[in-house]
Amino acid sequence: MPRKLGVSIVLAVLVILALLVPELGGDYYVHVFALVFTNVILAASLRPSLTCGQLNIGHSAFMSIGAYTSALLAKNLAVPFEIALLCGALLAAAVGLAIGYPSLRLRGVYFAMVTVAFVEVIRLIAQLWVSLTRGMSGLSGIPKPSLLGMTLTTRASQYYLVVGLAVVILLVLWKLEHSRLGLIWKSIGMGDNLAQSLGVNIARHKLLAFMLGCFFAGTAGAFYAHFIRFLFPPEFGFLMATNILVYNYVGGRGHFVGPILGAIFLSLLSEPFRGSPYETIFFSIAMLLTILFLPGGLITLPGKLAELKRWRAAASPTPSPAA
Amino acid sequence: MALLETRELTRLFGGLAAVSRVDLTVDKGEIVGLIGPNGAGKTTCFNLLTGFLRPTRGSIVFDGEDITGLRPHQIAARGLVRTFQQTTLFQDLTALENVLLGLHLSSGKGPRQVLFSRRHFPADEIARGREVLDFTGLAAHADQLSRNLPHGHQRVLGIAMALAAQPRLLLLDEPVTGMNLDESGRVMDLVKTIRSRGTTILLVEHNMKAVMGTCERIVVLNFGQKLAEGTPSQVSTSPDVIQAYLGTGVADA
Repeated sequence: MPRKLGVSIVLAVLVILALLVPELGGDYYVHVFALVFTNVILAASLRPSLTCGQLNIGHSAFMSIGAYTSALLAKNLAVPFEIALLCGALLAAAVGLAIGYPSLRLRGVYFAMVTVAFVEVIRLIAQLWVSLTRGMSGLSGIPKPSLLGMTLTTRASQYYLVVGLAVVILLVLWKLEHSRLGLIWKSIGMGDNLAQSLGVNIARHKLLAFMLGCFFAGTAGAFYAHFIRFLFPPEFGFLMATNILVYNYVGGRGHFVGPILGAIFLSLLSEPFRGSPYETIFFSIAMLLTILFLPGGLITLPGKLAELKRWRAAASPTPSPAA
Repeated sequence: MALLETRELTRLFGGLAAVSRVDLTVDKGEIVGLIGPNGAGKTTCFNLLTGFLRPTRGSIVFDGEDITGLRPHQIAARGLVRTFQQTTLFQDLTALENVLLGLHLSSGKGPRQVLFSRRHFPADEIARGREVLDFTGLAAHADQLSRNLPHGHQRVLGIAMALAAQPRLLLLDEPVTGMNLDESGRVMDLVKTIRSRGTTILLVEHNMKAVMGTCERIVVLNFGQKLAEGTPSQVSTSPDVIQAYLGTGVADA
């Protein structure tokens, strides 16, 4: 199958490029791309919930839970990195269950409001529980990530770790989306009443999709904590939550690749503004431009360009009737 | 024997009784019509029977089992399947995919069974989907996006999806709304064929010609209460029913 072959070649080239980043660039690029892959995990893990039609503007809260849990376990109790990361992800999923169970029966904007409020709750807990999280002084001295007892001291090795995590998570999410479970999620997003009337337990499936997203957001958060080695509560606020959502919309919601593309594109493009007030403006403009000109997201760009080309080709050879 | 039986079925919205103490019985193999003026509580009744609304009071028994308060998917799994008054389809999928999804969603496979399965539909399910489309006369439109189908075909596709869920009792909410005489005649023939294949039918409809020609028994609702019940000829000559539909005499106007 030529198409399948083409896709494999593109994937292989991308993976090789990703693996070559530490060779070609310095520590700065390694740092930037490690954060890009963190964002890819976050964006892709939001997709199952969005496919079910649930607007989750609170994903950063689950990242925060994963980050703080893993960091505190490793720092205070000397738990190995792998286990700390797993605990962070599991706690994020467990909190997702507790939040999702009562609120997932809400639809559209009401569910979105719950998730927004939840981001603030988690931020305030991290800020005010000073004895545990050190509050606004920030949590520092988080151990570097390790694998099987070996500490990953170099930036490059930590980068390879997040690439590995991202590849595994994307494979799992891709497999799920292309299984029948993904089909059920899609049907709920397209018409939850109809899906219900045909016998789908929509509450259970929405919850499952939501928890899955929380688990992977927690994973991304845990990596982030051990990579940056400093946690500051406001980082995981509303802004980061909307960014994750914007990755999905700007990249495109119609295809699995959409959020991945959106995360890579926007994180790289916004890198010069990182941490400055212009970052917010940048994301707002990106969102506005997408809604206006590419409602289907970046993934629809090649199709749109081809359409434009055809249209031009069809228009040019015809002599105008006035001539 | 009674396949569906409600006792004193009641639903209040605030102080308004949308459905009030309705005793409704549908026997196995019947085609029963539920009619009444606008706002009489017909659709509310459907929503109560299929679990989309919870009754305030009263009970619903389906095939000997009390299904009062069960959720929609649980009721659908027991073989009581509905269609919707507003055309409700998966708009971005083809007609065949809609039916396949109907087949699949109703198969009741839990997350564990679907996790390691493939998304592509196996050949036997596709064959069954095509059979349903054949049966409902939509075979020629199998690969058209459902949103591009003409209104009449969309309505029929809604019925096809419900059939895919293998109902024992099919609830049709205004199946021939917005159809011309020819189309509605064909849909009503389809309804009779579905019954002859062993599915009991309860339908809500405003089109009197369609109802009178198809149903063996008719229940008339007015202001949420059962006004009359009987054969089409009994109902259509009942003074109460005529009054509900046409109003009282000139003297009162």
